[in-house]
Amino acid sequence: MKHLCATLCLLLIGLVASSPVYSDGDAGEPVVVRDPYYGDVLFHFYKGDYFNAIVRLTAAQKRGVLTHHDEDAELLRGGLALSYGLHDEAGRIFDALLATKTRPEIRDRTWFFLAKIRYQRGYLDAAADALAAIGDELPENLEPERHVLAANVAIARGQFDQAITALERWKGPKGWSDYARFNLGVALVRAGRFAEGANWLDKVGRLGDDRPEMLGLRDKANVALGYTWLQNDAPERARPVLQRVRLKGPFSNKALLGVGWADSDSGNFRSALTPWNELAGRDLLDPAVQESLLAVPYALGKLDATGQAATQYENAIVAFSQEHQRLTNAIADIEAGGMLDRLLAVEATADDTSGWYWRLEEMPDATESRYLYLLMAEHGFQEALKSYRDLVELRANLLGWRDRTRVFREIMDTRKAGYAARLPRIEASLASADMQALRNRHDRLAARLQRVEAEQNLFALATRREQQLADEIRQVAANPVLKRSSPEIDDVNSRIRLLQGVLQWQAEQDFPARVWRQKKQLHDVNRILVGAERARLAVDDARVNEPARLLDFDDRVGNLTPRIDTMLARVEATIERQRAFLDGLAVDELRAQQERLDTYTVQARFALAAVYDRATAASNGDGVEP
Amino acid sequence: MKHLYLAAVVVSLAVSSNSGVAQDSARDLDAEVQDLKSEVLALNRELFLLEEELLFPANSQVALFVSMDVGDFFALDSVQVKINGKEVANYLYSEKEAEALIRGGVHRIHIENLKAGEHELVAFFVGKGPQGRDYRRGAEMTFEKGLGAKYMELRISDRQSKLQPEFFISEWE
Repeated sequence: MKHLCATLCLLLIGLVASSPVYSDGDAGEPVVVRDPYYGDVLFHFYKGDYFNAIVRLTAAQKRGVLTHHDEDAELLRGGLALSYGLHDEAGRIFDALLATKTRPEIRDRTWFFLAKIRYQRGYLDAAADALAAIGDELPENLEPERHVLAANVAIARGQFDQAITALERWKGPKGWSDYARFNLGVALVRAGRFAEGANWLDKVGRLGDDRPEMLGLRDKANVALGYTWLQNDAPERARPVLQRVRLKGPFSNKALLGVGWADSDSGNFRSALTPWNELAGRDLLDPAVQESLLAVPYALGKLDATGQAATQYENAIVAFSQEHQRLTNAIADIEAGGMLDRLLAVEATADDTSGWYWRLEEMPDATESRYLYLLMAEHGFQEALKSYRDLVELRANLLGWRDRTRVFREIMDTRKAGYAARLPRIEASLASADMQALRNRHDRLAARLQRVEAEQNLFALATRREQQLADEIRQVAANPVLKRSSPEIDDVNSRIRLLQGVLQWQAEQDFPARVWRQKKQLHDVNRILVGAERARLAVDDARVNEPARLLDFDDRVGNLTPRIDTMLARVEATIERQRAFLDGLAVDELRAQQERLDTYTVQARFALAAVYDRATAASNGDGVEP
Repeated sequence: MKHLYLAAVVVSLAVSSNSGVAQDSARDLDAEVQDLKSEVLALNRELFLLEEELLFPANSQVALFVSMDVGDFFALDSVQVKINGKEVANYLYSEKEAEALIRGGVHRIHIENLKAGEHELVAFFVGKGPQGRDYRRGAEMTFEKGLGAKYMELRISDRQSKLQPEFFISEWE
């Protein structure tokens, strides 16, 4: 269970680290790997190659080579499925696994991350279900995000009061609480409870945190609050709030527009011109800049600068028309195809991370790019783009396998031919090798050595020289002359006994070493014989089973090849659907921008007509155009 | 004019949402993409197993794995492997891969077929040692290949007592 815990911690820490908001997740201890193929899967997982990690994990599971990591492996598979964007499958794996095996804190973490991913993918009901499944054992460092997530899910489902309750109850650490406060403020405003919402947004709008993401949040809160006051006819309260927004941040255009409206609503049209003129000089892409082209002549008109107002309206109409035409060209480029290939080509040199964490960071140098920044920032578009990228990778993968299966066939053909050519030679060679005779000979030698040792037959293992000497001494001793008795003969007999004694003593001394040596040699022979017998069995096995094995490979390649082709056709079709969907999103976005420009153009034309009417009325009366 | 835009600003600051039709379409596609991914993964598993069994039958298979523990005293750049005097692998590790090793990942650097009997394995580890010095160390081992797959581990380990890295080759039991 300890390993189970460690693995999930690592998985979940991986998810935390990659989340768009910072987290206090600890680094975790390295996993102790006991099966090399489990470590191989982790290697691919940690380097972000989720696809191959899943393939290797499931292959290793099927081969049964993860004996020490059985429990961890299934948990890891769930985590990998999440990382690769297979949240439905991950849900099924976790559901099956956690319901039976896992401790509550592991289960709670798992549901938490499932909830997070489901929310990010827009599966709000499923996200709410996963959040509801979390018990009381979520680690402390994940609690803040859990509450923020619960609030975000509730807001996205339109359940504002539930969101408010979730956030009001929670007293989280610094950082997280600011995101939560912002969300709560927006939720309250959307629920029509302006005063309460404004209070929360104001707190976030006065943050003293200099981290870039917090400065961004502060600006966002001030813009939201400023416009809330403007909507509630309180321009004097909107102005100071909007002035808190940084001039160079991403919210500066909206803030400048709002400051102008605050002045204008207070009747200070001359003051309003300052932010609006600043805004009018910026990139026309931003709706706030487009609106400023109408706001400036609106203020000029109010200041009775009718001529200038007319000129500015005319300029605005021309600018809108030019922008409209550029959008038409960009739409034509998208509809001609190639937008997605241009987008993905920008990222082609990036690392090979696939799945959940991939995100398009740069835009290509293309006509449509400048109009798509807003769309790129949207989660839905990024998700669809990610799926498209994954599909393109699946196609490349399948095409690669299609080529390799052709190579497999060639390998098998070569093996079949080689087998057919070698078989007669091998059979002839096997027929001449009598393994049983060799084994019998070894056994006979072993039995003989056993007898020599049991009988202590010293001269059986003596050297040839020793045996010759013993024979010679025996022959000399057997001489009939030596049976007589004389002092000389007695002396010779005595020398013979001495020699026999020396020989006997030497043989006795050397006997144990000689027995050991013989045993060792027999052991070596036995080892070689065992090796030869094994090899013989392997050859026999190959003779019997190789044709069946080759047939099995034939069948497998034969079955898998059409599956590759079928899958390729489905992937191609889905790539086209996904491409059409993404192109559609992009064209819709650009058309929406055109529609906004059309609205502004109509307003500009009406306003221009009104200016001309007033000028005509003035010239017919006693007024003089200023 | 003003109120149109103000409403849009407040909405855009909160939760962005696509139209219902676009969302349904996105979900259909997402479900189809998930199905496809799962099926291609399952097919890949079969093909992966087939390839390994065909090219590296268990009886003759030898697989070499690189592993690393803490990595305080050694930053791995590359590993070169020779079997019986012949270079069979020379792998350059990216930063991400070296990090994956430190976190517990194990890299299968090489797989091949070898005949039964004795074989000599030599590995050279190249990287930065203590104090950022260039570091190149070797390790060698003679191993016996019998029947059945053989897994060898090329291990980089921190030796705390000497504040130096250590390099081992061993059989993965």
